[in-house]
Amino acid sequence: MTHAVKYHPGMMLMEQYVAGTLSADVALAVATHIDLCPHCQRVCQDIHNDQADVLASMPLEQDDTDDFSALLAEITGQPQLDKPRQKAARELVKVQINGREFAIPRALSRLAEQQGKWLQLGGIATAKLPAGDKMHVSLLYIDKGTEIPNHTHLGLEMTLVLSGTICDENGEYGAGDLLINTPADTHTPHTRADEDCLCLSVLSAPLKFNKGLVRLLNPLQQFFY
Amino acid sequence: MLDSTVLTGHHEHSGTTTRMPDRMTISAESAEPHIRTGQWEDALTFVALHADKSAYAELFNYFAPRLKAFGMKMFGNEQQALEMVQDTMLNVWKKARLFDPSRGCASTWIFTIARNVRFDMLRKKQSRKDDISADDLWADGDYPELEESATDQWETMLLSEKLAPFFDALPVAQRLVMQKVYLEEKSHQEVAEELDIPLGTVKSRIRLALDRLREALDDTRS
Repeated sequence: MTHAVKYHPGMMLMEQYVAGTLSADVALAVATHIDLCPHCQRVCQDIHNDQADVLASMPLEQDDTDDFSALLAEITGQPQLDKPRQKAARELVKVQINGREFAIPRALSRLAEQQGKWLQLGGIATAKLPAGDKMHVSLLYIDKGTEIPNHTHLGLEMTLVLSGTICDENGEYGAGDLLINTPADTHTPHTRADEDCLCLSVLSAPLKFNKGLVRLLNPLQQFFY
Repeated sequence: MLDSTVLTGHHEHSGTTTRMPDRMTISAESAEPHIRTGQWEDALTFVALHADKSAYAELFNYFAPRLKAFGMKMFGNEQQALEMVQDTMLNVWKKARLFDPSRGCASTWIFTIARNVRFDMLRKKQSRKDDISADDLWADGDYPELEESATDQWETMLLSEKLAPFFDALPVAQRLVMQKVYLEEKSHQEVAEELDIPLGTVKSRIRLALDRLREALDDTRS
């Protein structure tokens, strides 16, 4: 892949991801970004080592006098896994839309296999992934030369580019780039004339369309959510 | 023996496959044992090779109370903290053979198991079965996917770690048996047939060789 990932999750997100304290759907976007970003893979390993150190050097309270001997005996009485499980290298999961086929990163594969139906509207299509907490997680496909009408985010919008390029007023985002938009942000993303785009979209609230006739889309906002 | 009280140097080599015998000690004020980098990796290796209960007990006695303290901080609830200790330490025992020292140290491996156990405990509590699991989020969690063959792994482990020189120093007959069992992954029976020796001899050579390796490593520890 020639594209160098430019937009990364912040350090706080990364730390909470490693600690396992992020909400699962936000963690999913971070995990998928890491799959696509060698830099964050290294950062992630370092944070793991750091947090493991905290565990390994955890001070013990004087009154921590649990007797674990029964548990120890119980555990060593159990059979070990005989051999390392030999999972054949898992075949890459692919999704098809608009006559195109996209390989899906590891973190999303299991969920992408259970994706909902593609809903299409003009050059845009979405398919829900069965990963809902409070957020809505979906695959978002945008055909080449397509613009998503200017919108505001009523909540948090995380968009991770999986393939292709998406552009908005602030810049261009390629595979692996993670965009995080808050209610303060308004933008009009569009694809290039010659390249379509597949994204992972994590939304905490519906989008709100701002301008002219597309405000008529607002009743359809559930489409994007 | 060192008297220093600081946990140091533990992760300087993470991400690499070399493992220098740096020293590391842990909080002398609570009369903790002195610990050297590599001790937990060695212990896990013995648990993996030989279901070695005393090596496991060393790991257990060190990590179980710390996992409990860690769990109390995360859950604020003793029952859940203990459940996490139990599930984590059971996984450490059962999956010891999945531990790969070239991918990080033992404490990191144990941390990721604990983190995944905790994450999945919380998800289960919210009765979500079908959606995001620890396996989706953390590729390296407890190594759910192994792409290298077991042979490669043992080769890596034996050759890249300090076992290698001791392995070479084994008497030829023992080394041959060990090589066939652990590097070529043959069954004891196959080795007996190949070398035309009794099955009992294969087993006793393995035991002797493991004892020797253990002794050699013990010597480097004290």
